[in-house]
Order: sequence, then structure tokens, then C-alpha cells
Amino acid sequence: MERISYNKVTNDIVELLKKACNGHVLTGDQINDDFCHDEMKIYGTAMPDVVVEAETTEEVSAVMKICNENKIPVTPSGARTDLAGGPVAKYGGVILSTIKMNKILSYDVDNLVVTIQPGVLLNDLAQDALSKGLMYPPDPGEKFATVGGNVSTNAGGMRAVKYGTTRDYVRAMTVVLPTGEVVHEGATVSKCSSGYGIKDIMIGSEGTLGIITELTLKLIVAPKATMSMIVPFPTLEEAISSVPKLFAAHLNPQALEFMEKDVVIDTEKLLGKEVYPKELDGVDINAYVLVTFDGNDQDELMDTIEAASEVVLEAGAVDVLVADTPQQLRDAWAIRSSLLESIEGNTKLLDECDVVVPITKIPEFLTYAKSLQEGHSYTIKDFGHAGDGNLHIYLCSNDDDKEAFMKESDDFMKKVYIKAVELGGLISGEHGIGSGKMDYLKDFVGPVNMRLMRGIKKVFDPNMILNPGKVCFDPEESYAD
Amino acid sequence: MNILVCIKQVPDDSVEVSMGKDGKPEIDGITPVVNAFDTYALEMATRLKESLNDGSEITALCVGPESAKNSLKNCLAVGADHAYLVNDESIDDIDSIGIAEVLKNAVEKLAEEKGKFDLIFTGKEATDAALGQTGIYLAAKLGTAVITNIIDVKVEDGSIEAKHETEEGYRVIEAAMPAVLTVTKPEYDPRYPTIKNKMAARRKQIDEMNISELSALDEITAKIKKAAEYEPPKRSAGIKIKEESDEESALKAIQMMVEAKVL
Repeated sequence: MERISYNKVTNDIVELLKKACNGHVLTGDQINDDFCHDEMKIYGTAMPDVVVEAETTEEVSAVMKICNENKIPVTPSGARTDLAGGPVAKYGGVILSTIKMNKILSYDVDNLVVTIQPGVLLNDLAQDALSKGLMYPPDPGEKFATVGGNVSTNAGGMRAVKYGTTRDYVRAMTVVLPTGEVVHEGATVSKCSSGYGIKDIMIGSEGTLGIITELTLKLIVAPKATMSMIVPFPTLEEAISSVPKLFAAHLNPQALEFMEKDVVIDTEKLLGKEVYPKELDGVDINAYVLVTFDGNDQDELMDTIEAASEVVLEAGAVDVLVADTPQQLRDAWAIRSSLLESIEGNTKLLDECDVVVPITKIPEFLTYAKSLQEGHSYTIKDFGHAGDGNLHIYLCSNDDDKEAFMKESDDFMKKVYIKAVELGGLISGEHGIGSGKMDYLKDFVGPVNMRLMRGIKKVFDPNMILNPGKVCFDPEESYAD
Repeated sequence: MNILVCIKQVPDDSVEVSMGKDGKPEIDGITPVVNAFDTYALEMATRLKESLNDGSEITALCVGPESAKNSLKNCLAVGADHAYLVNDESIDDIDSIGIAEVLKNAVEKLAEEKGKFDLIFTGKEATDAALGQTGIYLAAKLGTAVITNIIDVKVEDGSIEAKHETEEGYRVIEAAMPAVLTVTKPEYDPRYPTIKNKMAARRKQIDEMNISELSALDEITAKIKKAAEYEPPKRSAGIKIKEESDEESALKAIQMMVEAKVL
């Protein structure tokens, strides 16, 4: 595959786009700075030539036809909360935003599904479903991401330990291919043995294969009650060692997170709340496990919490604090949900990785990652999903020298990815590859897998116009395939 | 020291309440919780008990429905030693002064078996109907001192010194005991129960007192009649100002306020 170059967006093309999209086209000064980056500016910023805010599948199809015929790159965009550079228009051209496609279209309560447009925010879907006694289980930390974006990265979140990731909740979708063709994948059924799973290839493809314009998602009946326990430990090792024991005791937590003291202290300062104990009975606390169970009533949950407490106390917990009132649950989880915000607030330069390793390997991986900070200007902060081994590790620096930081970060990332793979893990659990992690993906999956991915992309996107420079394909590189 | 904490069970105040077709707030599906200001009152009382470390005891008292036993168990898990419920399900219409009358009679009855209460804590108001009257009525009926809106309390030589919150800061007020203290949000949050305390509270009995034995119905029937309840008007969306720099944004905001004759 030769290096690919794209055409410029001319005034004539802008006029065609305006016609195709009922005038919902932004150019020049109308394009807000927010369209130049996602939440990880460190992976680069870029100004698109045009932003199209589509409202229907037909509009998306018309835009794609125009861009495909004219070889204009198109970058799909939702709420731009991505953490890997995915929605940045690296090669200019058109940003196709689905943010105005934000309607919850219909519920089929008997079949437990909801049909939505891709720009619906996760928070809005979750609240709306809950008002009907239903739950959309995927629960990534960023509640103001679009559900379309969640599907594109196969987002996971806190409840993945019990309910799985976004992939497990996508029943069907409408997709506009880069050629402008419209296809429907999947159906409102729970089984499928009907040819290649194109729906599943679309999930996690980070907007490189097609643009999702409608989604039918599986829901569950919302649990009637939830209860959490805050479990303080003297060390992270003891905290993590309790996790397999909880599963072995037939306990099935809805969420199971770990946190370390320093990040918790910063976050409590940010929120002006002190929830997590720092010292108990003369014992210094250094790590916490936060566990939530769901069930039919408080009594049943109290029995579960009692059983879980025996397990964690046996594993070295200093005590167990119970959160069973709405306020206590909100406060305990508000800290967990704001950890990243607090790290961002205290840091000038930030890079991150979200490796996933076998649960038992979490302490070994973190010890290794932290050992790398010695002699460097950065510090490591971390937290993560103890129940599924998905770790969020942040490289933080308050120096001003971005170039030096990026070099140090690259060296760090290479080492930790090698370690993650050596321990039986993967390089990204839920944030995706985008542009920021492309080189590492190449090292990790090897040339054959990269060729397969590019081959799949070529079938969907013959002119390679959709989200170039992401995941497996960069137009500036030439490939042997 | 003998401490009483009066609590009220209210619907979780983080849930937006809408009006039902019958013109009443729809609260049936909302989780009942201990009124937030009462949780601060209990935490303050518990901290006082711990600082005194002299065998002081806390009794929690609630006038409410049967389901409030669960709220009282939550109190037992975070500092209360005893808990009593005055079941008011047989009374259709009761207001703050009626509740204060029931509480007064309950306080006097409890004093017969437990001795007189030195301090009575309660929240400064309830989050469902924020009238802020019950604590003050109770003090008046008991003939004791009352210090309202407190954020801290100390006990010294048989008298109390409390910080009464004001708009500018606080005033330090001393009073003789017994006294009623109404509590607002202090600098700290209520503690989480430990599993041990939670399990112990789960096994404890909540003692009940009969409301009709405590007070005559005509003494506690509401004197105030609710004419109607309304949803607050929806606030219109604000205006987002995003100029090139913060300074320009501030200038633009000032200019808009001048134009609107607010400044």
C-alpha cells in the first residue's frame, strides 16, 4: 500500500456539504477550539477544515459519498472525551460530528432493548433507562461521553467485572460505510450464527471502518438495591490479594476498584470531603478496595457484605466500612469517579496507559511501573479496576519541557507495555489505540495482525479516508501489503 | 452524660421530586433516609460522647412510620446506643408543633427510665419541609435553652459552649444544661459505619412507643393547614460567555450586566 495523500476541501465541496446537511456546516472561525483536540492534547492537536453536524443517517451517508468521491479525510466525533487522540482530524478535512444525533428513539421493554442515536450521552441514557426501572450496565468513568463513542472504543468501566463491557450490550446497529452505503448489522436477538460478525468488528474500531448512526442496546432490569464497602488495607499487595478470594467465595461484585492513598488524599481535597480513613487503630492505611454489590433488598445485601467482610478481613483488611445510604454511596463513589480529574488538576504534563493484566499480576505490574520513576522528573499515579485487572497509570510532570517529557514517556510506555504483555496482559483495556498508542500496538500485535487489520479497513474503506492515522493505518507510511 | 438525638426520616433529597396528579409530591419510590441535618447532629453528639469518654450515652428518637426503624438502625451503627420509634402512622395530619409535643412527652417518658437528658440534638431543619421549627418548639415546651444552627459544641463544668453559625462566621453562645441544640453542616461529614457496628445494629431491637399513649390526638393534630404545593418554576438556561481570554470574558459579563441594568 503506497503512501496516500488527500485532496483539500474546496469552497465547492463546502457548498455540497451544506446542501447535504441542511446547512449544519462550520468553517473557519466558526470552528471552536474544542474540535482540535480530545482529552489528551499531548497526542497532538489539529484543526479540521470543516465540521459537519449531521442529524440523520441520510445526511451522514450524503457527506460520506461527497468525501469519498473527492478523497477528503473524515474524522468521526462524539463528545470528544476520548483519551487516545481518536477524534482529532490528524490530516484535516471533515470532522463529522454525531453530537446532534442525540435522541433516545424507543424502548422495547418486553425484549429489554433500547434504540438510540449515537450522540446520546451515557449519563442521559443511564438516567432515562433507570427512570423506567431498567439499567444500561456499561459504566465508564466519563459519563458525558456519547454512547456511539463508547461503542467505538468498546468502553468498559466500573461494572464490567459483573456485567461485561459495551460490546456485550450492542444488539444491532446502523452503519454508514466510508463509501456512503448504509448497512444494518445485528438484530434484536441474543444469539447470532449468521456469517461474519461485522457488528463485532465495528465495536472497538474507533471510527476507522464506518460511522454508527443508530444503536439498539441490551438493557437489564435494574437491581433493586446496591451496597458498597470501603476496605482499607496497610498495603496494595494485601488489597489486591483479597480480590481472587472474593470471587472464590462465590461473591459476585458489581464493581471492584482499587485506589492508593496519595491519589485519594488529592481527590478528597478537590471535592472537600473526607471519606476514606488514612489511619485506623494505629495502622497506616495505604490502599483501598471499593466494592459494590447489587441485589433484591438491603437484607440480602447485608448478608453478602457480611460474607465479603470475612474474606477481606482474613486477607489483611484493617476494617470494613459500609456504605448503604444514598449519601454514603454517592460520596464513596464520587471520590473514585474524580480521581482522574484530581490528577489532571495537579499536573501540567500528563500521559497515561490503561493496560489490562491478570488480576493476580496487578501488584507485580504496579511495583515495576513505579520502579521506573526513579531518577526521572515524572511521578506515577494509578488506580484501576481491581476486579478485571484494568489499570489506569498516569505519568505526571510539572515541568514545562514537553519534548523531554514525551521522550521519557515513550521510554516508560515501551517498558510497561512489554511488562504487561509478559505478564499475560494487553496494552489497552478500554481507552483504545487512537493515534497515541499506534506504535505500541504495532510492537504488541506484530506485522501479521497489523496487515489483517489494514486489510479489513481496506474492505470497508477502499479510499482509506475514514479517520486516517488511527489504530492500524497511517497515510504517511507505505506498507508492503 | 445523657444525650438525645431526634431524627426525622425523609425522602432522599438528591432525587428530583415531581408533583403527582393529586397535587402532592410523588415520593413513594424515593429511598427514605435520615434527614441530612439530623445525621450531622448525631455525628456531633457522637464526637462529643467520644471526647468526654465518661460513659455518656446517646439515645436516638424518631417520630415516624414503621420503616423509620431502618433509619434508626443506621443511627445505632454510627454512634447511638439506644433507639426509639414513636409510630405516627395512625395520625393523618401532624405539623412541627404537634411533633414537638409528641417529642416532649416522649422525652419525659424516657427520662423516667433513663434519667433526664442533658443535651438534646436535632437538625436545624428537615430537607423535605425545611421549616426549622421542631427543635425550637421542643425547647419551648421543655422550658430549656435552645441554641440554633450550631457547627460545634463543647461541654465544660456543667454548661455548654456552642458555635452558632451566622452569615459572616459564627457566634459563641453559652448555655446551662439541659439544652436543645439544632445543628447545621459542620466542617466534617458523618462517619461510615464499620461492619462490626453495622452487624451489631442489625441485631438490636428498636423499642416502640405508642403515640396515642404519649399525646392526646387533639393536642397534636396540625394547626397549620397546607393549602397547596407547587413545583418550583424551572430556571432558564444561563448564558455561556467564552471570549478569547478570561479578561475579555469578564469584561463581556460586566457589559451584559450593565446592559441588563443589574449593575
